[in-house]
Amino acid sequence: MRRQDIILNLLSEMSSYILSGDPQRMVISLHQEESGLHLCILDSNDHSDEEVERLEKTLNSQKRPELAGYYGAMTGHDLLGSSRMDLLGWQVKHADVSKTDSGIKIDLWMGGDEFESQKFSIPKSGK
Amino acid sequence: MIKQHFLLRNLLFTIIFIFILSGILIDGPYRALTNTLHLQLIPSRLINDFIAIGGIGAALINSALVGLTGLLIILKVKTLLSGPTFAAVLTLMGFGLFGKTVINILPIITGVYFSGRFIGKQFKEYIIIALFGTALGPVVSFIAFEFGLTGIWAFGGSIGLGLLTGFLLPSIAVSMLHMHQGYNLYNMGLSCGFFGLFAAAFILATGHEFKGGIEWYSKPNLFLTLLIPVLSLSFIITALISKGKKSLTDFKKIQKIPGRLPSDFMVMESTEGALVNSGLIGIIGSLYVLVVGGDFNGPVIGGLLTIMGFGAFGTNLKNSWSVVTGVIISTLVFGFGLNSPGPILAAIFVTTLAPLAGEFGWKVGIIAGIIHLVMVMQTGAWHGGMNLYNNGFAGGLTATVIVAVIQWYKTNKTEFSNSFRSKK
Repeated sequence: MRRQDIILNLLSEMSSYILSGDPQRMVISLHQEESGLHLCILDSNDHSDEEVERLEKTLNSQKRPELAGYYGAMTGHDLLGSSRMDLLGWQVKHADVSKTDSGIKIDLWMGGDEFESQKFSIPKSGK
Repeated sequence: MIKQHFLLRNLLFTIIFIFILSGILIDGPYRALTNTLHLQLIPSRLINDFIAIGGIGAALINSALVGLTGLLIILKVKTLLSGPTFAAVLTLMGFGLFGKTVINILPIITGVYFSGRFIGKQFKEYIIIALFGTALGPVVSFIAFEFGLTGIWAFGGSIGLGLLTGFLLPSIAVSMLHMHQGYNLYNMGLSCGFFGLFAAAFILATGHEFKGGIEWYSKPNLFLTLLIPVLSLSFIITALISKGKKSLTDFKKIQKIPGRLPSDFMVMESTEGALVNSGLIGIIGSLYVLVVGGDFNGPVIGGLLTIMGFGAFGTNLKNSWSVVTGVIISTLVFGFGLNSPGPILAAIFVTTLAPLAGEFGWKVGIIAGIIHLVMVMQTGAWHGGMNLYNNGFAGGLTATVIVAVIQWYKTNKTEFSNSFRSKK
């Protein structure tokens, strides 16, 4: 799958999840490197600690190539019904979910085997 | 996850061993093995009950060998045993009782392997497609043993067509997913049915006619009647021994999951909770067959094994009851018998549509069940019985229509301008 398609699918699924909460504000930031990418999504809705914990767990779930290679095609594509963060979790390299003053911040890193999110070129303050 | 993998591996190997041992004990080693060999060499389009053709022993051994093939491939490619792979092995075993043989599934699995290689994917990324794609096993058997070819032409033609079938399946499977958006659990049934339409059309174009009725074993047999209930109980006991009362708590949580593809209950809750769910589905399914006076034979036991497998991958009691009710209503309204082959299989396999009820409610589930029965009574003829997952095909068409209507309604019920409102 082309990188552009992967990004579009990620954006679509994440946006669907955030927009289902009908936020007043949603901000999406994308930074690309040759070996990977960083996607940051912020919204302005209240989220319970339980939801944040569940989301982080789902997004950092064990990689499932047998599911990602087949059902992963539905990511950001088939949006009738509840959002399915597990579809993302099988594909992203790492995810951080944290509460902000006004809502939630989701950081997703995606890349190949050589990609290390810790060494990513976005300054810490920008994350 | 590792504990889960070993628990399931041991459970599945035990079931396979018990099937082989039972097969040998019931029919004797010589008869069981020669009849198992015979089953490899027959056309296996729907509905060919291997118990009626080769006897109980041979059918059980064939089922075990087909399941073993799938399990060994899963282990060989180092894929985790979990909801979908557990469902795949039980489905392979189920259909090993009425259509799948080791000989007719291997070319298709190999074709899927080549498809992945062709586009640079690892085989493990397509393993679910490969295992469930074996629903088109009858394509291989048909060319080898029914089409009229002989010798090298029959051998080469069946292997070649099997490879081509497997090679094309991944592309079709992904497209079919988008049609129903994950609301038909047996997506490979829809994919294989779609492919089967083309296969059947080409075969008919050669002037060949699909002949033969159904082979359906209908003698009462205590072993066959008790097979699924005992297996189901063993699932529940295994879960209780492994995790105690927590497995019941997890089972209750599983009932709240809508079940849309891909819902791996074993990861979302626990392996033990999913095994309880699976076991109860097997027991209730068996009770249904008993109550309506159905036969416990290859297709029915195969169906029950399949839905037990999907008890770890999308089907639960809460999302299933309404679609089954829909099939019962439809069966009675249209004057079919609840215990005749089509309706009884539809009542079991209609759980492919359980996610519709899980996501949109029981009323949608009942409507889906009603439509499903009507469709499945026709769709088998469309692909000449080539697709063993005929209910998955009919279910996929039903889900596609229902999803289209719901999406249209949700998209258009409110005028666009009215969907904006003032924010505080």
